[in-house]
Amino acid sequence: MRSIFFAILVGLVGAALLHIVIILTLPQFTGRDAYTRVLGLLEMDSFFPLTAEPGPTGLNNADPFLRTAVCSFSVADAPARFVGRGAVPFWSLAIFDSGSNEVFSMNDQTAVNGDLDLVVATPIQLVELRKSPPEALAQSIMIEMKDEEGYAVLRALAPVDSFEELVRTFLAESRCEPFQR
Amino acid sequence: MFRVPLLVALALIVAFGGGIGSAVWALKATVGFGSIAIGPWVAFPEAQIVAADPYAKAHRARAGQLLYGGAEGLAFTALTDDTGARLSAGCSYDVSGITPPARFWTLYAAAPDGTALRPGPDLPSAINSWTVLRAEDSRFAIHVSSVAQPDNWLAIRRTGSFALVLTLLDTPTAGSSGLIDLTMPKIVKTGCGHA
Repeated sequence: MRSIFFAILVGLVGAALLHIVIILTLPQFTGRDAYTRVLGLLEMDSFFPLTAEPGPTGLNNADPFLRTAVCSFSVADAPARFVGRGAVPFWSLAIFDSGSNEVFSMNDQTAVNGDLDLVVATPIQLVELRKSPPEALAQSIMIEMKDEEGYAVLRALAPVDSFEELVRTFLAESRCEPFQR
Repeated sequence: MFRVPLLVALALIVAFGGGIGSAVWALKATVGFGSIAIGPWVAFPEAQIVAADPYAKAHRARAGQLLYGGAEGLAFTALTDDTGARLSAGCSYDVSGITPPARFWTLYAAAPDGTALRPGPDLPSAINSWTVLRAEDSRFAIHVSSVAQPDNWLAIRRTGSFALVLTLLDTPTAGSSGLIDLTMPKIVKTGCGHA
């Protein structure tokens, strides 16, 4: 009887350890985290507009009034630049690293003149850019990302249906590309 | 003779069953620590940052959703009404009051797992701060029901339970330390059935 009790006690200790191990390692092997899903769209360096119904990767416009576009990028070779212009009632951009941690987020009121112009670079690239700032990046917001891969989420608001066209154009014309000087 | 292998098997069953079971349960039950709860409304303003707790990180890796950044917005989810009873699609509810300061908000009904309910293209399945009809003091009352209602109607068509998702866009609430008194709309049941 005592040995059964002891076996259960050992099992509970093991269960606690296993619980901790599962929680800590789960982000590495789920295979359906947001970054893997964005990569599954097979389109790098351009904003991919999502639909209302979940696509093959399971990503969709969760909010009925927000249109979302995602873009996976890499800053391993060159900084990534995000540019967008348009008079939508509200837009917001969030940059995530490959672990889906937020690196930076902004909206149209925190942008210069309400236009999206953002450069994401590694610390070393940023030093280069600061030393000799290119003319084209005079108005750009520059942020540093330690991870080399990541994804950007651009959301634009269509409060009523008549904004639909405007928002779709804004998302389609927004660019997400490597910056070459 | 089989005593020792049996005891080892028992220990292993308890360890694996308990470990896996409790991990799955924990990830289903909550998004992590650090929630803001105002009445029935719950939000997780820090689930997307690098300093999020391990449960939040595991949950977001499993759910695979695109989360809102701090400057984007904050989504509040309510699974119950103000009395604590589950929201049921067979009943009608009034969502009334004001929201915390935000540039814009949207309200829609969702399945308990968070996917938006789409009751039909002709029905008003979502309401935002531009389209909502307000009283003179800028308060609003939204009738959530599967039966057509006057004024603000949020249509639901589904049996079982549902959730209400109120997303505040560009809001200082996300960085709130709890010092500001935040007021969220009340959710009050007005009746059940087709009465």
